[in-house]
Amino acid sequence: VMSFFKGLAGIKELTKEDLAPALQKLQDQLVGKNVAVNIAEQLCNSVGASLEGIKPGSFSSVSRLVRSAMTDALTRLLTPKQSIDILSQAKSVKKNEKRPFVVVFCGVNGVGKSTSLAKVCFYLQQQGLVVHLAACDTFRSGAVEQLRTHARCLKAELHEQGYNKDAASVAKYAITTAAKSNADVVLIDTAGRMQDNEPLMRSLAKLISVNSPDRIFFVGEALVGNDAVDQLTKFDSAISTLAPPQSVPRHVDGIILTKFDTIDDKVGAAVSMVYATGQPIVFVGVGQTYMDLRKVNSKALVNALLK
Amino acid sequence: MVLGDLGKRINRAIRLMSDATVIDEAVVKEMLNEIAKALLEADVNIKYVAQLKNRVLNRVKFEELAAGVNKRKMIQGAVVDELCALLDSGRDPVPLKKGKPNVIMFVGLQGNGKTTSCVKYAHYHQRKGWKTALVCADTFRAGAFDQLKQNATKARIPFYGSYTETDPVKLAIEGVNRFKLDKFELIIVDTSGRHKQEKALFEEMEQMSEAVNPNDVIFVMDSSIGQAAEDQAKAFRSSVSVGSVIVTKLDGHAKGGGALSAVSGTGSPITFIGIGEHMTDFEPFNTQSFVGRLLGLGDISGLMNM
Ligand SMILES: Nc1nc2c(ncn2[C@@H]2O[C@H](COP(=O)(O)OP(=O)(O)OP(=O)(O)O)[C@@H](O)[C@H]2O)c(=O)[nH]1
Ligand SMILES: Nc1nc2c(ncn2[C@@H]2O[C@H](COP(=O)(O)OP(=O)(O)OP(=O)(O)O)[C@@H](O)[C@H]2O)c(=O)[nH]1
Ligand SMILES: [Mg+2]
Ligand SMILES: [Mg+2]
Repeated sequence: VMSFFKGLAGIKELTKEDLAPALQKLQDQLVGKNVAVNIAEQLCNSVGASLEGIKPGSFSSVSRLVRSAMTDALTRLLTPKQSIDILSQAKSVKKNEKRPFVVVFCGVNGVGKSTSLAKVCFYLQQQGLVVHLAACDTFRSGAVEQLRTHARCLKAELHEQGYNKDAASVAKYAITTAAKSNADVVLIDTAGRMQDNEPLMRSLAKLISVNSPDRIFFVGEALVGNDAVDQLTKFDSAISTLAPPQSVPRHVDGIILTKFDTIDDKVGAAVSMVYATGQPIVFVGVGQTYMDLRKVNSKALVNALLK
Repeated sequence: MVLGDLGKRINRAIRLMSDATVIDEAVVKEMLNEIAKALLEADVNIKYVAQLKNRVLNRVKFEELAAGVNKRKMIQGAVVDELCALLDSGRDPVPLKKGKPNVIMFVGLQGNGKTTSCVKYAHYHQRKGWKTALVCADTFRAGAFDQLKQNATKARIPFYGSYTETDPVKLAIEGVNRFKLDKFELIIVDTSGRHKQEKALFEEMEQMSEAVNPNDVIFVMDSSIGQAAEDQAKAFRSSVSVGSVIVTKLDGHAKGGGALSAVSGTGSPITFIGIGEHMTDFEPFNTQSFVGRLLGLGDISGLMNM
């Protein structure tokens, strides 16, 4: 394809037909890197539209043009538009409002919510903040003991009321108690749930409505395929539409992308998730220890996708 | 439920094709593109999707079609065959022997549902009259023993584990030996989550497998997994002798194609699926009846032999 179009370069304006083969190839590559099919398609369509009618310079092949436009589009997408610095946000809430900064971790089963919560706790403690944990997964066997183990290792205070309790009230109790003891941050663990399970999604919406956390982090794993989009959009909409009447509408405020160490260069879930709601990736999980938490490197991501 | 959308889309693509006045290569290609898209959206590995397209095209003999054989049936048959090939490992599940100690080791990626499925599997067999026990050989994950213990207690299944021992291989040996002494028939060993990128974790799994010499190694995979499924599945298989696959979380929205790619990756059949968090949310799995249901074709054994 490349050599064929090289001959045309500089001669005529690019048409849809000129672009189609290179775009299809790129789309397949993105899908192979685990970008959701519909999103790979939409990205390629908009890159195609931006190049239609352009007269390529004499040295550029169509495929090179397409790749460079895609590099720009992906970089724009993956570079956070708003601040993702929760450290300074937490400090400013504590200073100005004299109360702890509250973060809820939610997501489907087994993605790494509780582990990420422990990593974020460690990160904030390293920066000198006093962090309390709230065991609001009152359903899954071992969930409370899992958090207790982390609390012990991290020397963080844990608020728990055992199993089969109303998660929203456990969170309320944790936040009130933490505020009394002058904590800087409260991190709330929740039970994993499938995005189509309405009763469970309703209970998450209630927990959020009752406790008005400062941040709602969606935890998703880099291993997830096309389901990434559905997970994120359904969590995002459920926490407003399934909330009790008169609640302040809320949305997912950020993404934690876990298990990044298990996917080699198949980093496409990052694209799917950010594309789904426009929310930034706040942290990336790269292993199973407390240190394995990173900020996203959008340039490296784009390189891995287009390599 | 499971993969339902995919079935509908494949059927629609086949129907649209057979509505065409002339069925030529272009029409079949268009149908295959539709099917390919549906499979990719269900996370089937992109390599297998390309393979399926080529195989179907190669099998359809356009000259014969022109001569008036039943086109729809012939092409549908080719598609179904190739889909089955994708899902069918060609191997039978490892048989369990009554009255003997059968040691079963559960392995898989982090958080994919090993511990939950272990207990479901134990519960399922215990109800069928097997003398069943669980061994927790996960010394890594916080709360792992409590999780297994609480689940096993609910299901009234004897269990073995430790809060203080840090060597999972040692624990596995102790647990298995103890239950062998007590004449248990099904001894299920739960292990930590691991992934191919971390060598030490795979070495630990190999040591454990050598030490307890399992009758079957069950690879547990989350149905929502995408394109990384096959690489991981292959790595597990080349490290231990995986004999069966359990696909979990099929109660979600995920279409499970990624996990199904694990079948090709491990060369082992899916034996059970997990469809919820509760003990009984667990079903035996049969590939052929599954593909039949998937395509809304009823029993497809007739179609398969065309
Ligand atoms: N390799 C790797 N493993 C991770 C990472 N984050 C979490 N895990 C592992 O994933 C498994 C599940 O983690 P949890 O934190 O229990 O997940 P969860 O979302 O809280 O699970 P539920 O509460 O059961 O829904 C554990 O074995 C973690 O060690 C990561 O970034 N990399
Ligand atoms: N909805 C649903 N959730 C499931 C299913 N199977 C397991 N889970 C949930 O998935 C999460 C992880 O399951 P675990 O059994 O802890 O996974 P694991 O593979 O043992 O995890 P590690 O030991 O950390 O590697 C838990 O929240 C389970 O309740 C299923 O079939 N459906
Ligand atoms: Mg958890
Ligand atoms: Mg486990």
